[in-house]
Amino acid sequence: MTENISNCCTDRTVLDKIAAVARNWKGRKDMLIEVLLQAQKLADNAITEDVAEVIAKEMSIPLSTVCNAVSFYAMFSTEKRGKYIIRMCKSAPCHVKGAEDVIKAFEKVLGISCGETTSDGLFTLETCECIGVCDRAPAVMINDEVYGPITPEEVINIITNYRQRREEA
Amino acid sequence: MEETRILLKNIGKINPVSSADYVAAGGYKGLKKAISNPEAIVDIMKDSGLRGRGGAGFPVGLKWSFTKGTPSDQKYIICNADEGEPGTNKDRILMSGDPHSLFEGMAIAGVAVGATKGFIYLRAEYPYLLPILNDAIKDAEAAGFIGKNILGSNLDFEIEIRSGAGAYICGDETALMESIEGKRGEPRYKPPFPGVSGLWGKPTIINNVETLCNVPQIIDKGAEWFRSIGTESCPGTKLFTLSGNINNPGVYEFPMGVNMRTLFKEVGGGCPGGKKLFAVQTGGASGAIINAEMLDMPMDIECCAKAGAVLGAGDLMFIDESINIIDVVENLIEFFVEESCGKCTPCREGNTRLLEFVHKFKDGTAREDDLERLIEIGSFMQVSSLCGLGQASPVPVLSAIKNFPDKFIVKSDERGQN
Amino acid sequence: MPKVYIDGTSIEVENGTTILEACEKIGVEIPTLCYLKHLNPAGSCRLCLVEVKGSRLLQTACTTPCAEGMEVTTMNQNIYNARKLVLELLLANHDDGCFSCPNNGKCDFARYCMDYDIEKSPFPRNKEFPPVDESGEFFTYDASKCILCRRCVRTCAELQCNNTYTLKGRGHETMVGLPFNQLFKTSNCVSCGNCVSVCPTGALSTKSGKKYRDWEIKKTQTTCPYCGVGCQIELHTKGNKVVGVEPLDGPANNNLLCVKGKFAYEFINHKDRLTKPMMRKGGKGSPLEEVSWDEAMSHIAEKMLAIKAESGPDSLAGFASARVTNEANYIFMKMMRAAVGTNNVDHCARLCHASTVAGLATTLGSGAMTNSISEVVDSDVILVSGSNTTETHPVIGAKMRQALLRGAKLIVAEPREIDLAKQAEIFLQIRPGTNVAFFNGMMNVVIEEDLLDKEYVENRTEGFEELKTLISEYTPEKVAEICNINAEDLRKAARLYAKAEKASIFYSMGVTQHSTGTAGVMCTSNLALLCGKIGKYGCGVNPLRGQNNVQGACDVGCLPGDYTAYQKVVNPDARAKFEKAWGVSLPDKPGLTITETIGAIESGDIRCLYVMGENPMLSDPDINHVEHALKKCEFLVVQDIFLTETAELADVVLPAGSYAETDGTFTNTERRVQLVCKAIEPVGDSREDWDIINELMDRLGYKNNFSSSSDILDELAGTSPSYGGYSFERLKKEQPQWPCPNKDHPGTPVLHIGKFSRGERAIFKPSPYIPAAELPDEEYPFVLTTGRVLYQYHTRTMTGKSEGLTNIMGTSFIEINPTDAGKLGIANSDKVKVASRRGEVTVEAHVTDKVAEGILFMPFHYKDGPANKLTNNVIDPIAKIPEYKVCAARLEKF
Ligand SMILES: Cc1cc2nc3c(=O)[nH]c(=O)nc-3n(C[C@H](O)[C@H](O)[C@H](O)COP(=O)(O)O)c2cc1C
Ligand code: SF4
Ligand code: FES
Repeated sequence: MTENISNCCTDRTVLDKIAAVARNWKGRKDMLIEVLLQAQKLADNAITEDVAEVIAKEMSIPLSTVCNAVSFYAMFSTEKRGKYIIRMCKSAPCHVKGAEDVIKAFEKVLGISCGETTSDGLFTLETCECIGVCDRAPAVMINDEVYGPITPEEVINIITNYRQRREEA
Repeated sequence: MEETRILLKNIGKINPVSSADYVAAGGYKGLKKAISNPEAIVDIMKDSGLRGRGGAGFPVGLKWSFTKGTPSDQKYIICNADEGEPGTNKDRILMSGDPHSLFEGMAIAGVAVGATKGFIYLRAEYPYLLPILNDAIKDAEAAGFIGKNILGSNLDFEIEIRSGAGAYICGDETALMESIEGKRGEPRYKPPFPGVSGLWGKPTIINNVETLCNVPQIIDKGAEWFRSIGTESCPGTKLFTLSGNINNPGVYEFPMGVNMRTLFKEVGGGCPGGKKLFAVQTGGASGAIINAEMLDMPMDIECCAKAGAVLGAGDLMFIDESINIIDVVENLIEFFVEESCGKCTPCREGNTRLLEFVHKFKDGTAREDDLERLIEIGSFMQVSSLCGLGQASPVPVLSAIKNFPDKFIVKSDERGQN
Repeated sequence: MPKVYIDGTSIEVENGTTILEACEKIGVEIPTLCYLKHLNPAGSCRLCLVEVKGSRLLQTACTTPCAEGMEVTTMNQNIYNARKLVLELLLANHDDGCFSCPNNGKCDFARYCMDYDIEKSPFPRNKEFPPVDESGEFFTYDASKCILCRRCVRTCAELQCNNTYTLKGRGHETMVGLPFNQLFKTSNCVSCGNCVSVCPTGALSTKSGKKYRDWEIKKTQTTCPYCGVGCQIELHTKGNKVVGVEPLDGPANNNLLCVKGKFAYEFINHKDRLTKPMMRKGGKGSPLEEVSWDEAMSHIAEKMLAIKAESGPDSLAGFASARVTNEANYIFMKMMRAAVGTNNVDHCARLCHASTVAGLATTLGSGAMTNSISEVVDSDVILVSGSNTTETHPVIGAKMRQALLRGAKLIVAEPREIDLAKQAEIFLQIRPGTNVAFFNGMMNVVIEEDLLDKEYVENRTEGFEELKTLISEYTPEKVAEICNINAEDLRKAARLYAKAEKASIFYSMGVTQHSTGTAGVMCTSNLALLCGKIGKYGCGVNPLRGQNNVQGACDVGCLPGDYTAYQKVVNPDARAKFEKAWGVSLPDKPGLTITETIGAIESGDIRCLYVMGENPMLSDPDINHVEHALKKCEFLVVQDIFLTETAELADVVLPAGSYAETDGTFTNTERRVQLVCKAIEPVGDSREDWDIINELMDRLGYKNNFSSSSDILDELAGTSPSYGGYSFERLKKEQPQWPCPNKDHPGTPVLHIGKFSRGERAIFKPSPYIPAAELPDEEYPFVLTTGRVLYQYHTRTMTGKSEGLTNIMGTSFIEINPTDAGKLGIANSDKVKVASRRGEVTVEAHVTDKVAEGILFMPFHYKDGPANKLTNNVIDPIAKIPEYKVCAARLEKF
């Protein structure tokens, strides 16, 4: 019948890498979240339709099952995101310590709104719920690293650091 | 006031990965005892009076006895390391500083009820703990404390780490199991309870990290010893996370029943900038917001409940006078709107309605019947939601209305108009 | 057995009974939205809240099990308020265009809102919805009417097991939808419509449903006219028109249907229906002209009597039908035997399962499914061979998948990578026509590895030594070579099957339609007997019958050698019994089969053929040959609902009523006799099949005493031991499986328990592997195999009238492996010319991995590109079934 035409395209070599990860867990639906976390790291921090299809096929699980998980967990995105994901905590303990001002500072420094990605594809700014470091509130995670307590003034330095890292790399 | 460091005794003192260090500090003695007499463990746990530290306070020995009493070809032990409650950091401290005590607690549980497989469900927000835990597991396996044929006993107990992916609801025990099974983290109805039918339908014990870390020393030193600490109904120590407007935020260990004022003043050092304390939220985002005047309160489950507060996982978020309490309430409801799983009607739809009413209070357009309606919906959610999230999410707003009635001002003259 | 108190009434219930079920028992109504009988409870809508004494929380009646001494209150102010709030919260985001909603009048949600005095929600709408998905052929999805009960999602995942739906977002954002940006049309949806049937609002609604309202329709309970599953349905009629179908909780289908049963009812009131008798007044070659019933009938009677007088009764033959009722078939065969005096009566079972009837009757004593459909859900291992179950018997396919969800393991041995193969523990892609070798290989492993059930073999079978000797030649390596599979996989499959406690074998035409079809069938029973898996719950050998009443047509004697219930015409006692019952003397030698009849027409031995509800022009092998014969036939009568390809050649055409226009019974593939009930009057001047034959018999000089179908069933029951317990009255209440010898007999879900139909012991009938009659060679290098597709049925006389089905799969195609296609320069969708030694057709190529290299597959349904122009009419020597499944073919780009 109708063949599915993917409306997004992920690099073939990336898809192959993801397929290799997923293939290890054929029939193991319980490993789906692990696979998705790994796949997302390989593919622009997103599970696009083509990525999901590869995972579904290699793990022998329905596409709808993959989609169920992707759309439930906050850390998955179906839209491509930046290399660094800035997750600013907005839960109450950070909130009362002024998280909102820090978010605004990020928006200003990056020139984007929350939920957006910088045009160089480097940063995506997001808010999130408690990241479990309330003793360092207000706190932010950039990929796997935690920063806190941070003031709006420190934001520019942090961003500059990442930009430099990128240039060095 | 000095901390009573029982759970935190090794933190910062030993190499967390090294089982040798842990053994040198007295570790894995409980497991040896457990293996020598597995039959006795559940009773010791019952006698100790240990209650769950994840928030609900369920008696541990009783929970284990259900699983022990259910015959099955496979049973599981799950450690709930989701620690999603805003304002809770204690499990992170335990796992980063003393993971072997957690493994030991899980292995003892496994030996006690005949489970050969354990899972640690680790929230994705703690990726930096993964290497520590993985290395520590390898080390413990190599040393024969976990894995196949532990300590030459012919008993197996393997531990595997499973990651969350950003969902507060996965802290709920049944949602967590759904998540391990690779599904959406939506809670299951109960009964059946996990102890009888849990992960993949098999009898499963699920306990919080802190709960499990208590186990080795109880088995090693005995129920009597444990009961000598804390209060009659809540023996032992508790880890308290202090956050918000406080000079010394962090995680501290005190016997159950420690006074909240002590925690605020002596441990936390009061509010920064000499500001006055206005309110405290106890028990995390789903806990009650109490008036600063209620500060003299012994911190155990019963005393908190009596005073209209919640011990929960031992969180205290301090709010000073500069903060608008309605703004905090709004933030908390937003959290639940965001984190509701969406399965059941009261929570999925109700939280958004609570938020709409709070907005009215925030911009001063609320009327008398809005307040009544808010309370009605909140009370309805508490008794009709499927899981603890929807049952507890109205608590902050309802407690705030009760404890700060003058902040929820209504235009009573406009009542009834459309 | 806990005792509970519901609103003060005490009731004792089975362990595990929920409060809701207990309430149902005592007639207390509890409102529910997410609850649905055959689904796992969800407890998510929270509408069924009740109070349980001692609990701080309200409890959901649908999930809470009754416990000893529990005190339940099902209504008070508290409960009323809570339920009302649930409804108000849902209503806020539910589109309120009830007036234009197809569900208006049958909406559970609207009814509950009314019950709880809600006219509009006190809350403002706070959700946005995507546009309505109208891309599917039969139904639409409007998220703004969805109340998130998830019945559709769960039905699709747990019952249909197609997993089309997904939940999108979480919390307040949660919505039912399809993965990513898919629409029904681009998704894996199979249009079964089971989601639509369970939707309590108008969110999922049929496109045709816009045209009528619930209160305008009459509902008639009946049996689906398509495949052999025998789903129970409710026909919705407005005036004399069928406007919809809803599933019922029948024993075989439990509220499920497939796309054909649910949506393909357009044929009933189709403009092409035959409504008047027609005749070639000017003799052969003249056009068919409308005539009165009297004129047509007297002409037929005259001709038949004349031919009989001139050439004897055996110069006449009749084809009965696997699609009409037992009663019509019974009276038809009675006409041929009692009024004409010949045993020349057969029907198309010959073409699908004659080998089953012959094979299993020999080895076990009964040629039908040994077990029941519902048992498959409880099987531990399911072996499917020669059946594309999810397409040909979709509801059984769904039940197999339900079994897999429960942990059953599946073995698929098939030439094509059918959908089920994807979920199989072991998939053996055998070459077409090598079933016998495959089964022999399985048995070789079972015997070699000592996995057989020795006690069973010893006590309940005979012929083991002979089997053992023959089987010893079929080593896994040899079989792997023949079948082109992996020997180790074969070993694994054999172990899996043999070691399972409950293992069932399902097969269909992939096993039967071969020149060695009977041998293939006997092999299935050999394997099952060897492992002790016959006569046990959840096991058995289960041939899946293709047409709705092919089982029944055989049961009631539309076979040249059998009266009803397989009583042999050559058996003097049986003959004497029928002679007495019918008051005539009967011929003693078996009549001609369908294939033989065609030959006899050619040779002039048969001069008159009466065809009731069959279309041999498309369904028989080598149709060029059939066409030639039918054209030659001196007097051809066709009684049908459409002017089929066969009817076009007839001398007289009689318009019959469809299944919706008649009363009677169908017997499904699991031997279950179920009622067919008249929902509308026969369209135009058409008449019920039995009624036509009844009058004709009268005119042929034989008077029946029938004034209804029910009378016919009573006579049938009186002469047929296994049907003895059936009557219309009883079938309204229960639908037992035969043998059901008397009114008090509960029916027989599992055959051969303790004793075989054939006697104390079953017999092993080992067969050597014999290659198909025509193998590929230089000239015709491919193996062509044929089969069916989900969206069409038989020769499309019914499904072809469905616009939706035609849009989905309206034209024939041929499947070819990418490697072969590459060599021939054929791309997907190219037109190709396929030729065999018998003919040539042009169809569209589907390039797909489903078929292995060297293999071609074609569906047989289509008039354009008819596969049976190519198939080989060599027949199985025992069952006379043609070898549809293998012939040599050649193909080139058109
Ligand atoms: C919405 C929700 C979130 C929860 N989050 C956590 C959590 O992050 N960690 C935890 O240990 N328990 C959490 N719980 C409690 C668990 O359901 C469960 O009671 C606990 O893991 C049992 O362990 P314990 O008896 O040792 O406390 C949560 C419960 C609910 C309803
Ligand atoms: S209460 Fe909330 S989180 Fe719990 S099941 Fe219901 S919707 Fe999900
Ligand atoms: S609330 Fe922000 S880190 Fe805990």
